Amino acid sequence: MPIGGFIVNAQPEFVSDVAGQLNLIDDVEVHGFDESGNIVAVIDSVTSDVMEAQVKKIEALEPVLTVGVAYLHAEDEIEKIESGELVIDNPFGRKKKN
Amino acid sequence: MSVSRRDFIKRSAALTAASYVGMNLPISNVNVAKAVDVDTWVRGTCRLCGVGCRLEMGVKDGRPVALRGVPEARTNYGYLCMKGMLFYKLMRHPERLKKPLYREKKDQPFREISWDAALDLAAKGFAESVKKYGHDSVAYYGSGQCLTEESYLFQKVMRGGLQTNNVEGNPRLCMASAVGGYLTSFGADEPIGGYANVERSYCMFIIGSNMAEAHPVFYRRVMRRKLDNPDKVKIINADPRISPTSRIADMHLQFRPGTDMALMNAMAYVIIDENLYDEKFLRDYATFRVGKESKEVDMEAYKASLDEYTPEKAARLCGGNITAEDIRTAARWFATSQGTLSMWCMGINQRKQGVWANNLIHNLHILTGQLCKPGADSLSLTGQPNACGGVREGGGLCHILPGHRLVKKGKLRNQVEDAWGIPRGRIPPKPGYHTMAMFQAVNDKKIRAIWINCTSPAQSLPNVKPYREGMKSDDVFMVCTDIFPTKTTECANLILPAAFHFEKTGVYGCTERRSQITPKAVDAPGDAMPEVWIVREWALKLAKELNDPVIAQCVAPFVGKEPDYELPEAIWDEYTQKLTKHRDNDLRGATYDVLKSMADGVQWPAPTKEFALTGGTVMKFVRGSDPMADSEAKDDKPYQFYGPAHPDKKLWIWLRPYVGAAEEPDGEYPLYLSTGRIIDHWHTTSMTGRVPELLRANPYSFVEINPKDAKKMGVRPGDMVEIESRRGKVEMPAKVVEGPMEGMVFAYWHDMHEDRMINKVCNDAYDPGSKEPEFKICSCRVRRISGPKALTPYITQLNG
Repeated sequence: MPIGGFIVNAQPEFVSDVAGQLNLIDDVEVHGFDESGNIVAVIDSVTSDVMEAQVKKIEALEPVLTVGVAYLHAEDEIEKIESGELVIDNPFGRKKKN
Repeated sequence: MSVSRRDFIKRSAALTAASYVGMNLPISNVNVAKAVDVDTWVRGTCRLCGVGCRLEMGVKDGRPVALRGVPEARTNYGYLCMKGMLFYKLMRHPERLKKPLYREKKDQPFREISWDAALDLAAKGFAESVKKYGHDSVAYYGSGQCLTEESYLFQKVMRGGLQTNNVEGNPRLCMASAVGGYLTSFGADEPIGGYANVERSYCMFIIGSNMAEAHPVFYRRVMRRKLDNPDKVKIINADPRISPTSRIADMHLQFRPGTDMALMNAMAYVIIDENLYDEKFLRDYATFRVGKESKEVDMEAYKASLDEYTPEKAARLCGGNITAEDIRTAARWFATSQGTLSMWCMGINQRKQGVWANNLIHNLHILTGQLCKPGADSLSLTGQPNACGGVREGGGLCHILPGHRLVKKGKLRNQVEDAWGIPRGRIPPKPGYHTMAMFQAVNDKKIRAIWINCTSPAQSLPNVKPYREGMKSDDVFMVCTDIFPTKTTECANLILPAAFHFEKTGVYGCTERRSQITPKAVDAPGDAMPEVWIVREWALKLAKELNDPVIAQCVAPFVGKEPDYELPEAIWDEYTQKLTKHRDNDLRGATYDVLKSMADGVQWPAPTKEFALTGGTVMKFVRGSDPMADSEAKDDKPYQFYGPAHPDKKLWIWLRPYVGAAEEPDGEYPLYLSTGRIIDHWHTTSMTGRVPELLRANPYSFVEINPKDAKKMGVRPGDMVEIESRRGKVEMPAKVVEGPMEGMVFAYWHDMHEDRMINKVCNDAYDPGSKEPEFKICSCRVRRISGPKALTPYITQLNG
């Protein structure tokens, strides 16, 4: 279950609207924003796959100019990959040996 | 994990992000530090573009568990992109190569062998080729992703040991024209300034670069500068395609592909016509040059050469949305701002006239004196993390030796031979094959053994099909070092598993002359080993096979050193202390100890440790900033252009006419085709394609088509289309978008699938000076073949 700290940059005139829209996206918490268009958000998702999907939703908002990452904690996910609980997706249709 | 610990980690994530933008959050930081209980944070550099973002990897029980930016780093001030954040997944990826693999014939499956057997085979393969076909029948093809220590040691063994200059690397495909531009305009390779100019610039001229996707963290600085100073800072984006980068521009100049040379000559025309040039700067520091002999001419001759480029004439030639008044406005902004910064990338470099296009950007800066002062620079962006450091500086191309020395100069060859303690005359005087010639030589069976390190030419070369056929032939013995199977390992006899980033130690040199170290943090999986160990052991076996003690001498200083730290440090020391001494990339002060102590490394020249510890040279050629501007001074002027390529120590303004692309649209192939990157993927997707989060975001290539062209073709969004050129054809879905201008299509180039590999279509014509191919422009035709179709993402697998 990765946790990421993000700085979303929106056009300053729309920063309040964008912060509101971010709060509507699952797993996204807005911690603050400023008049320069900076929004500090945290994404706490089930997998990094889901996190990437949420980032894509943020990037798709029209006034959003960039999405920067400052911090990522993925210990749980790495533990699960190593223990076999979480298998890295194989989206290529290759048959796996049991 | 307990709820409270998750909460603490979330607070830590929020506070870290907030600290980058100076935001105070109304949350407590009590116990936050305890929540992230890593054993150690290891500071290194991201490897997924050329910006050189610094990051720290949190390691717990020998595993990577967390990543964070380095806020003090002047490259990225803590920011990272998602692509960079997810690279840790490659370290534990199940498809990592873990054992040496071999097959005698290329239609056989690979089988696992020991390292000893693998290195024997590699030595025998190269030795047999040398004995049978001569020294120039062997070759090395490296990468701008190799560490400097790796590129340096490979080229040392090839040149000093195997006596061939057949040493190349994939930077030939991306940056060679920038090298040619810097050398011919400024007399020295690599930019004068660096990223720090962004925050001091008042006009930014972005041409041939979609930095919002290709260099997102650096783009953030450009965006911030504009948003914080909306009225004071002007941004001009010149590109045939509207891209995410265009969103912050005050002016978007959309020109017909290749006509940017006319556009820039027209800007120069306006600058002269309206007396906007810096007369004193020109008098003190510049001369005018023309032709192959670099003949000096006067300013009147330069002016006359621009007569063909009045804004009106150029606007007609450029087409697109460009008016004569736009050209005048752009020229005025460029010339009169307090500091103008130009930035470009592959749109300028990957061209049949790439060097000339680079010269024309530099011309504008020299004419207006927009150099060597705060906010002013002519900055070529780089795509790979170590194309500058390892390949341009470390001697990774066929015509250059370490320390920016030319192969063809005997005195410089002797300096290198003496430093290596090998007999003079050992390095041959003739440069080796450049990249396209090298793979043609494979096709022609002139090269019989080739080592490909950390790159995939079987996908990344233009007009790739015939070259791949050559690589697949059993007439060439091919060794690949890599971390994953690629389209190129499919052509190999021997695959050697390499350690990945943070699994070994070494230095990267990024866009702005900045060298940064990444130490080993975790063990490589299986039997994967650092390349420096692989080269050393191979060279020792090669010396026995060829009964040549000079080959052993090339690695003798490194024998017995452990491979994770001592060995790369010894190689770095030899390179920096012996081969950069008194060269323009003097790195003697940037020892491993110094580099480790710095948040963001050292910018050369940095001749002493004391100076390196200040961060090095922020602005080259400027007295007070660059120590060599004093030590190499020829007079008392504040700027000293001491670069090795210009005997007069001046900047050169070139008379360069507009020349079109090698292949222009015609009745048969009526459209321009250009290609480029998308934010989630990098190069051939051998890495990013294996991160499912990134693959899913863009599982396959698509082609952007202007809505007007789509209407003419009867193509709707998502339809499958065929793109065909004189060299080949591919199929991919269409994206109908106001991106490329009318008459042009734009395809993403990362896809490995045979049906969608756009490099089968691209042109392999190359610049006569830089030898860099014209990936960015060719002619094609496009036709609808069906409605939307379900496609399967494809990443190549071992044996199959």
